[in-house]
Amino acid sequence: MSKKGAVRLAGVGKSFGQTTVLRDVELEIRPGEFFSLLGPSGSGKTTTLRIIAGLEIATEGAVHLDGVDATLLPPGDRDCAMVFQSYALYPHMTVFDNIAFPLKMIRTPPAAIDAAVREAAARVRIDHLLARRPGQLSGGQQQRCALARAIVRKPALFLLDEPLSNLDAKLRVETRVELRRLQRALDVTTVYVTHDQEEAMSMSDRLAIFMDGRIVQIGTPEEVYQKPATVDVAAFLGNPPMNVLPARLAAGEVVIGEARVAAPHLAALGTRDVMLGIRPSEIEIGAGGVAATVTLCELLGDDVIIDLDVGGLLVRAKASGRTRVAEGERVHARFDPDRLHLFDRTSGARIAA
Amino acid sequence: MTPDQRLAFAERPERRFALAMVAPGVLVLVVTTTFPLLYLIWQSLNNINLSMPGMDRFVGLENYARMWNDMRFWAAFGFTLIYTGATVTLQLVIGLAMALLILRIPRAQWAFRIAAILPIVLAPVVVGLIWRSLLLTPDFGIVDFASRSMGLGSHNWLGEPTLARISVIAIHTWQWTPFVFLYMLAALAALPAELYEAARIDRANAWRRFVHITLPLIRPTIVVVVILRMTVALSAFAAIYAATGGGPGTVTEIINLYAYRVSFAELSLGYGAASAVVLLALTMVVAGVLFRVRRAA
Amino acid sequence: MRPGAARAAMRGAALMVAAGLLLAVWVVPVALTLLTSFKNEKEVLAYPPSVVFEPTIKAYGAVLTGPTNIVPNLMSSLIVAIGTTLLTIVIAVPAAYAFARLRLPGKKPVGFYVLATQLVPPIGLIIPYFLILNRVGWMDSYRGLILIYLTFSLPFAIWLLVSYFEDIPREMEEAALLDRASRWQAFWHVVLPQARGAIAVTVTFVFLNAWNEFLFAVVLGGATVKPVTVAMYNYINTEQTQWAQLSAAALVAMLPVIVLGILAQKHIVSGLSAGAVKGVSRR
Ligand SMILES: Nc1ncnc2c1ncn2[C@@H]1O[C@H](COP(=O)(O)OP(=O)(O)OP(=O)(O)O)[C@@H](O)[C@H]1O
Ligand SMILES: [Mg+2]
Repeated sequence: MSKKGAVRLAGVGKSFGQTTVLRDVELEIRPGEFFSLLGPSGSGKTTTLRIIAGLEIATEGAVHLDGVDATLLPPGDRDCAMVFQSYALYPHMTVFDNIAFPLKMIRTPPAAIDAAVREAAARVRIDHLLARRPGQLSGGQQQRCALARAIVRKPALFLLDEPLSNLDAKLRVETRVELRRLQRALDVTTVYVTHDQEEAMSMSDRLAIFMDGRIVQIGTPEEVYQKPATVDVAAFLGNPPMNVLPARLAAGEVVIGEARVAAPHLAALGTRDVMLGIRPSEIEIGAGGVAATVTLCELLGDDVIIDLDVGGLLVRAKASGRTRVAEGERVHARFDPDRLHLFDRTSGARIAA
Repeated sequence: MTPDQRLAFAERPERRFALAMVAPGVLVLVVTTTFPLLYLIWQSLNNINLSMPGMDRFVGLENYARMWNDMRFWAAFGFTLIYTGATVTLQLVIGLAMALLILRIPRAQWAFRIAAILPIVLAPVVVGLIWRSLLLTPDFGIVDFASRSMGLGSHNWLGEPTLARISVIAIHTWQWTPFVFLYMLAALAALPAELYEAARIDRANAWRRFVHITLPLIRPTIVVVVILRMTVALSAFAAIYAATGGGPGTVTEIINLYAYRVSFAELSLGYGAASAVVLLALTMVVAGVLFRVRRAA
Repeated sequence: MRPGAARAAMRGAALMVAAGLLLAVWVVPVALTLLTSFKNEKEVLAYPPSVVFEPTIKAYGAVLTGPTNIVPNLMSSLIVAIGTTLLTIVIAVPAAYAFARLRLPGKKPVGFYVLATQLVPPIGLIIPYFLILNRVGWMDSYRGLILIYLTFSLPFAIWLLVSYFEDIPREMEEAALLDRASRWQAFWHVVLPQARGAIAVTVTFVFLNAWNEFLFAVVLGGATVKPVTVAMYNYINTEQTQWAQLSAAALVAMLPVIVLGILAQKHIVSGLSAGAVKGVSRR
């Protein structure tokens, strides 16, 4: 295998004393992949990243890097570079010295250091700031400096822990694109931690979704979005997230409170209680369907988010901004029967439709 | 491998490095502090008198038994408690009052901050000498002058038993209250102003604001200050040595002075060691209690 | 003026007066020393104490060049204080770093031990040291004095530095470790440069405490090693006290620590309360 940067976590678990924060993590990241770890706060993303980096030691399972068991390897022997959320730039060194530090540690000759630092800095467009100290840089520039320090020695694996979270919204979107481009150009395996689903969706080749210290789903952004494996994943993804309603399957119909939606293709599933998921964008207002009352309209430029009361349940719909409805108005909402997601009422697992 | 073995294995380089970093410091402390203290305890079980060389011998707890019946030791023990209690209380009360007062005149604060530095950085022996000579000498010192001007007459401030005790307490209080003042000033300045505004709207008067808002908030600070000041008071020496030398007679002897005089004036090192052991024990007990209080605070 | 405003003004004035009196209590003794140091023999004894007089620097002359001058004592103090400071820093900085950051079994009890040594009353040390140094022939030597000074400077410095090291973000060292720095390199290249300010503060206070020490110096010193705190007694004989010279000597001797204190004034609170505020670190 020529390309480097394969990561495999086999049954990894982590406890700090009595508290277990990570269990049964199975993960395989392919060389060159842009892989995101996505999940709500406290779900164990950073811990997983730090275990890959060697900054924490897994208490269960094994970490393989490029086929080698690296579970107990110290961080310096893993050929990873990391960008921390706080950037962790060395405040007493210039930008040049910050970027040069990893090269100095592996005793690169000074001439080679100079060339490599300039190249890395140019890639992230901070080559004009080399003489400054981190304290004299803007947030975005600091972030680039941290990136340059990470890429300068061409590591096999590139680890990023919420690198964009300290940037303002506009810069974040710009940097997202640039980061993705940089990763493609360098063709380096990247593990990217974020709790921002939009970031994970737009950047990743594949992603893993963490909840409560476990991975609940791994897949491409599309797979994860189209076929969420559990109710929790369904409710976590999308903006606004998927509506999740208690419902009942009965003879080719989905019964939601008083309302019924015909879904003949689900007849095979028989009669049972389920959780029903439907994305706000899959609900059409006006063209027949279940009766609903508009309780709130929120205009977001191109789109409008409409809160509906459907037989006492709150359902959100997303429609074109040109849709005209008034609060309190009685409307009809059509649920696309082909776009319904069904989950087991007790386990929350997806029911194959 | 169990998880613990795993961690132990992976952390081994770090542990080795940590050990190498800590070892010199701990070794030096063991050699310079713990070993001499063990020797001190051994000394306290011996009769060592420098005026009678060659007569050293093991006497077991004899020194302690002698101390038990030594009224001068108990007086020193008692005055140690009075001295510590009085100086710490005075520092705390005056220091806190000063901080509360100065906080209300923001413009001149810098003058007080600078003035507060002076006593703190002076050597206690110098403070003791200055007080003894320039402030408390009868017919010459500024305190005596002030006393006379106020019609209270001239006094032998360091020669009269009660006055001497008050004087050495005053000297220590003078030197260290500024520290408490600065400490409290920092703590008070860090309190959120909104709390006070809310209380002011509730028409709480200044005293009630202090008791119900300020005091509970700075309680941890007060505990820390008390710990700091107690340990310093318990090891006080030079200022009293310079001001009274423990006199008149033995009235201003705290255990430190007592042990010093017994050891180096009367040359009974074994007996002096025994009293030092008692002070050591007292210090550890007080510190232990205070640390427990702090954890609870 | 409204009555409320008048009362407020009165209160303000009363506050200022009270504050002024307090300030006087702390300034007068020092000011008096300053005044006295510029007086001649006659002026010194004037009663009531004179405030306006013709200043003379005779006392300073005696203190700096006279037969009982304190210049050798200043040197003594300097050697002891610098020696103590250097040794303390070299030993305390690595130890403090390990306490603040590194994983080490038994760190908590050992840290507590260090904290406890700080509480040992000096009198408990001086008695054994007196006999030990006599036996090894280190009485009246710089070695002996510096050794015993380490007993208070080391625990103090370790605890002061621990609280500073804990404030340096851990990620910086982690970044360095990932970039193949050894533990030592991470410490040396990344942590230490950021701790320069903390070390400067520590140096200041260790120096100050060593300079001001008296009990150890008076018992373990002698003709060769006689720090300036002990030399104050040059000007106090049984017959008479040389007031002006004592004052001048006190000021000269205290000048270095006053300057240091004012330079380090922002840190004086944290500098003198090492260990008491932060407990033993969690890890
Ligand atoms: N050193 C530690 N000791 C004890 N618990 C820890 C430690 N580090 C992390 N945890 C716990 O592990 C859990 C997972 O933490 P982690 O930092 O991996 O979450 P995260 O998914 O990165 O969250 P966030 O998005 O907030 O950064 C949390 O509950 C956290 O409190
Ligand atoms: Mg995190």
